Amino acid sequence: MAKVHEITVWARGVLQDKEGRDVINIFAKAAQAEGKHAQAFDNYEDLPDRVLVTVRKYVRLSDEEITHKYVYTNDKPEVVVICEATIVKGIDVLRGMEPGGTLIINTNRSIDDMLKLLPNANLLATIATVDADAITGVRTVDFSGSEGGVDTTGIGKGIAAPIVGAVAKVTGLIKKESLAKIVSDVSGMERGYNEVKIKHFKPAVAELVGAAAGSKTKR
Amino acid sequence: MSKEDNMAKALPGYGTIDVPKDRVVPFGAVTPAPVGTQKLFQTSNWRVVRPVKDEEKCTRCLQCYLACPDACWVYKEEDDTLEWVGDFCKGCQVCIAQCTVDGALVAAPELDFEGGVVRLEKPF
Repeated sequence: MAKVHEITVWARGVLQDKEGRDVINIFAKAAQAEGKHAQAFDNYEDLPDRVLVTVRKYVRLSDEEITHKYVYTNDKPEVVVICEATIVKGIDVLRGMEPGGTLIINTNRSIDDMLKLLPNANLLATIATVDADAITGVRTVDFSGSEGGVDTTGIGKGIAAPIVGAVAKVTGLIKKESLAKIVSDVSGMERGYNEVKIKHFKPAVAELVGAAAGSKTKR
Repeated sequence: MSKEDNMAKALPGYGTIDVPKDRVVPFGAVTPAPVGTQKLFQTSNWRVVRPVKDEEKCTRCLQCYLACPDACWVYKEEDDTLEWVGDFCKGCQVCIAQCTVDGALVAAPELDFEGGVVRLEKPF
């Protein structure tokens, strides 16, 4: 079976619920347009109707058919996307990640500031920040689209657009051109793609640290 | 004969619950609410901003103490101070809206502080 790339998106309930869902839907649709197989779904046990409570959204991308369709959480996320930076402080967002993962945070703060908040940052091979709030402005786009409702505004109008641009550049899982066909706010997506700040950890060190961390956290 | 009566005849215990004698409470009984903070429902990671109090401007009017839905402002009578319980504050800013003195309570971004948030493995 081909490798399944698992992406977990963390967002804040109500205020970012639609944006978080937009991120996963854009990725899944773009991947399908590229001929890949994709799954996109919300977490089943979170409370998206309570303001500011963290909610999780999941995407899976693969070149072949994804067989584990009844597992409804990404237990070993390869990429973690944080739509609001304070989530890093209150949640162990890297839980389950294998060494060599990627973390992308929507923040205007520096990467080093973010690393201070991550006690298990040695799992990461790449960390990136994108200031999506500044690119599209902090705004709540729409409350529709929850629980299978229909989105009337189109997908990817708020902070979702720069975030997907940033994730596409950092991970390389999706081409920018296929995102542009789906995202409503194409210029926001382009700016996210261009303005993302990326920090790679040296592979040798990351592997060494990762191997040590991996042996400790092995389940 | 109605359906209920038929059922009651066929099944003598129908519609009743077997409660042990020592667990029986009168109808409309009040069970005590949990007093103080609940360790199993820590909501500090809902917070994006936290209230910061200016000790000099605070007049101890206790409006924040009254307004807080999570009892995160604790008034200490002996030394006349208000203590903020960060583990349960979800940053709703009701106390800031209710504060009677300009600038005595302000919202500050949570990321400016070290710690103060209970780090959980799952959302709650």
